[in-house]
Amino acid sequence: MSETTISLRNAPSEGRIYGYFILVLFSVLLVSIPAVAQEYRSGWDTVESGTNNDLFSVEATGDEIWAFGEDGIVLGSQDGGLSWSPANVITSSDLSMSDSGFGSILAASSDGTVIIKFESASQWTDISFDVGEENIRGVSLIRNDSAIAVGSNGSIWKYESETWSDYSVSGVDLLDVSFLDSERGIAVGDEGAILFSEDGGITWDYRDSPSEASSSRIIDIEFYSDIRAYAITDNGGVLKSSREISTQVGFLWNMQYFESEGGSSNLGVNLTSIEVATTNKFLLSGSGGYLSMSKDGGNIVTKQLIPVDNLTSFNDIVMIDGFNGITVGSGGTILITERSGEDEQVGFEVRDFSEFGSFVDYSKGMLIDGLYATINIVLFGIFLGFFLGITLSMMKTSPTTLKEIAEKRSLNLVRLFGALALIIGFAFLNYLVPIVEGLGLDGWEYIYAPIGIINPGGITGDLQFENFAYLIFGVSLILLGSLFISANGEYKKSERELFGRTVSWNPWGVRPLNFIATIYTDIFRNTPLIVQFLFIHFGIQIGALIGDPAAELLEGSTNFIATFLRDDILSNRACVSAIFALGLNSGAYQCETIRGAISAIPSGQMEAGRSIGLNYMQTMRLIIMPQAIRICIPPMGNEMVNLVLNSSLAMVIGYSELTRKAKLINAVTFQVFWSYGMVLISYFIVTWTLALILRYLENKTRIPGLGISGGS
Amino acid sequence: MENVLSIVDMHKTYPGGVHAVRGVSFDVMEGESVAIIGSSGSGKSTVLRCINRLIEPTKGEVRLRGEMINTPNADINDVRSRIGMVFQSFELFAHLRVIDNITLGLRHVRKMSRKEAEREALEVLEKVDMLDRKDAFPGNLSGGQKQRVAIARALAMKPEVMLFDEPTSALDPELIGSVLKTIRGLADEGMTMVVVTHEISFAREVADRVIYMDKGVVAESGPSSVVDSPQTERLKKFLSSISEED
Repeated sequence: MSETTISLRNAPSEGRIYGYFILVLFSVLLVSIPAVAQEYRSGWDTVESGTNNDLFSVEATGDEIWAFGEDGIVLGSQDGGLSWSPANVITSSDLSMSDSGFGSILAASSDGTVIIKFESASQWTDISFDVGEENIRGVSLIRNDSAIAVGSNGSIWKYESETWSDYSVSGVDLLDVSFLDSERGIAVGDEGAILFSEDGGITWDYRDSPSEASSSRIIDIEFYSDIRAYAITDNGGVLKSSREISTQVGFLWNMQYFESEGGSSNLGVNLTSIEVATTNKFLLSGSGGYLSMSKDGGNIVTKQLIPVDNLTSFNDIVMIDGFNGITVGSGGTILITERSGEDEQVGFEVRDFSEFGSFVDYSKGMLIDGLYATINIVLFGIFLGFFLGITLSMMKTSPTTLKEIAEKRSLNLVRLFGALALIIGFAFLNYLVPIVEGLGLDGWEYIYAPIGIINPGGITGDLQFENFAYLIFGVSLILLGSLFISANGEYKKSERELFGRTVSWNPWGVRPLNFIATIYTDIFRNTPLIVQFLFIHFGIQIGALIGDPAAELLEGSTNFIATFLRDDILSNRACVSAIFALGLNSGAYQCETIRGAISAIPSGQMEAGRSIGLNYMQTMRLIIMPQAIRICIPPMGNEMVNLVLNSSLAMVIGYSELTRKAKLINAVTFQVFWSYGMVLISYFIVTWTLALILRYLENKTRIPGLGISGGS
Repeated sequence: MENVLSIVDMHKTYPGGVHAVRGVSFDVMEGESVAIIGSSGSGKSTVLRCINRLIEPTKGEVRLRGEMINTPNADINDVRSRIGMVFQSFELFAHLRVIDNITLGLRHVRKMSRKEAEREALEVLEKVDMLDRKDAFPGNLSGGQKQRVAIARALAMKPEVMLFDEPTSALDPELIGSVLKTIRGLADEGMTMVVVTHEISFAREVADRVIYMDKGVVAESGPSSVVDSPQTERLKKFLSSISEED
């Protein structure tokens, strides 16, 4: 008893000091997250409209710009939107929608009031009609003297030769319509409805909307060009349709996922309109003072500063060209921009820091954000890697050979299994033959076939991992099958004469679990980590594959851990990818470390465990592993420190961890030595803390009286 | 008297081609203690390990109470839990305290509750006189104490037969006594056991029967008196070489 006490006394007291130290260090890190001041000004300027009426819609054609609003107000501008004057009152209805094109401008009210200013006419013409019980929700010109209007309960009206005809479809409320030319147009509406017409609005076909939008109200559509159309839902989603090899625009619709919103498909605002400036550049308006712009087709949507208060609801945007634009909103608000509304960095210049202190003050917030992001992926990466490492190392050390498996069964059963395996294996490969032939490979190019069969369709096609599984299972089953079917009950190694030498091999000595684990570790240890990052994030897109469904499972949960997992980890696709890349890679290395520790346990321990009647797994779990883990704590420490350092590679997939933050700070300040130096220290703190934790663990778990301790 | 263990024509060839056991047969009766002696490399440890299949015999039969146990279909874990084994190098589980070393098998093989298992463990620890060190870690025990704990660990499973694989060879001479005393105590209680040993005095005093193995075969066997009056040249030579060492 006394010996035990003495040998244990050292560890906890020393450990307690480490423990306190780590606690304090982490509290300091997590509590002190200051705000970073950024000086920007809005890219929009206010323009005097001369009215307090809400403005609903704005159009530009030629040199003229027209805004429409409450109580039939119509404002015109001839100077690019700088000054506005009201047009003669034509109607007192709220003009809530409009369209321009082919030289003409059209505005309408839900009650059936429609006014049009024909090409080269100076006056507005009233072409109102009776909408009966229904109301108009959207209008689109299809020629300079012809238009389509859509509205409630599937109403569709066409104005042609000065008369309105009814082409209504049965169905949901239609909310907007947009025509590319006089033939092709798209109408959208409630419950994700998307309709397409190819004959100038006379007949309409339903198109599938993406499942994420199937219950949303699609309120605005812009049929921008032959290759691109965009639509928005009122709850903050953007739908995108592109021309693909065999289908034209408007057939296939995808929900846009916003990288800037952590991979979500929802901007979290009530959108009112979308304005497409170029194929990949669009602006969005919304209530609550929301204006935003994306330059890359929606991957990154940047909210813009506005020069008016946040109560303003923006109702419509029009871009005169790629940069000049106008937005209108509640209370007669008109804003104008020359830079697509992009925020202007006031007096942007290289920030000049006279003293290190103010630089640290400026950059520490970003660094701490980066540190937090790094710790996130590191912690989850370690857990994933450790779990994998344990599993793989157990697989690698598993002693069961094919011989043992076969010996327990009767010879006929073994042969029957062999025959079955051969049949299934050939069936799998047979399924793959047309796919491989379709790849059009030649000669040595076949080494790339595994990539080709997973994704035969390229970027527009799906990833078909099942094909890869068929390949692997097919080949393995054929090998296994031919071995088993040739069994003669002896299960001995075979010998052959080859070039005058006796070559012997022993297929029955193959350990299947070991074989699988070896393939895994070989793949991950013989490819660069940076390529694994790129492949997992951009190639497999594991965030969409695993992160999104997992986040969906946690939807609605209010538990602290669940919300953290959902919002901070799973819905950030780069984060999920980084965790998997680090974890899968580290698992392969940890496997070897743990395997080394397992083989350091005397074989007598296994014999002793088995001799009291424990089975193999029980002995591994209760006797071998607990001792092996203790042995491998120091090398595992190295492995984990490596993982922290490797986490800096996550910057290549756009994950805002510490190194990327440093790069950003450096980009603004050009303080090369300071930025990277501070990152160096931040990394040191994390890895050193980790090392302390492991040192503490090592002391805590030391088996008294065992091993050479070095006297600590 | 019932036949507890019977070995019929056992052969073992190691993968390297060494033919360590070449046709060994013997029976062990209920309550009998059999000592196997022989020089190093004579195959005596191999025979012992083949009995509970820590090593698979290449050929031959091992029967426990008439039941054939070296077929692929035998429930080997159950068989092993009925055969206690004590190793030359103790093989205690270093990360577990003495008492947990003993309760491990009871809890995970016999599916006892922790409380029940500990009660059993205390009983066997008392039997081997190790009750006062029940909370020590194996690393803090002397060799003799370790071996007594190892015996207790095997004993706790209430085996039908105990196998001892040179239980005293790794011990300092002054520690051997306590372990031999424990084994002798067990023999007196009527435990069936097979002891592979170098201790001629132990074979003489405790064993009911002595088997002398040489080059993989049983060269001579008989009552314990054979060590005093060997019938074969080989055993004579072996015994004289031992006494020279002493």
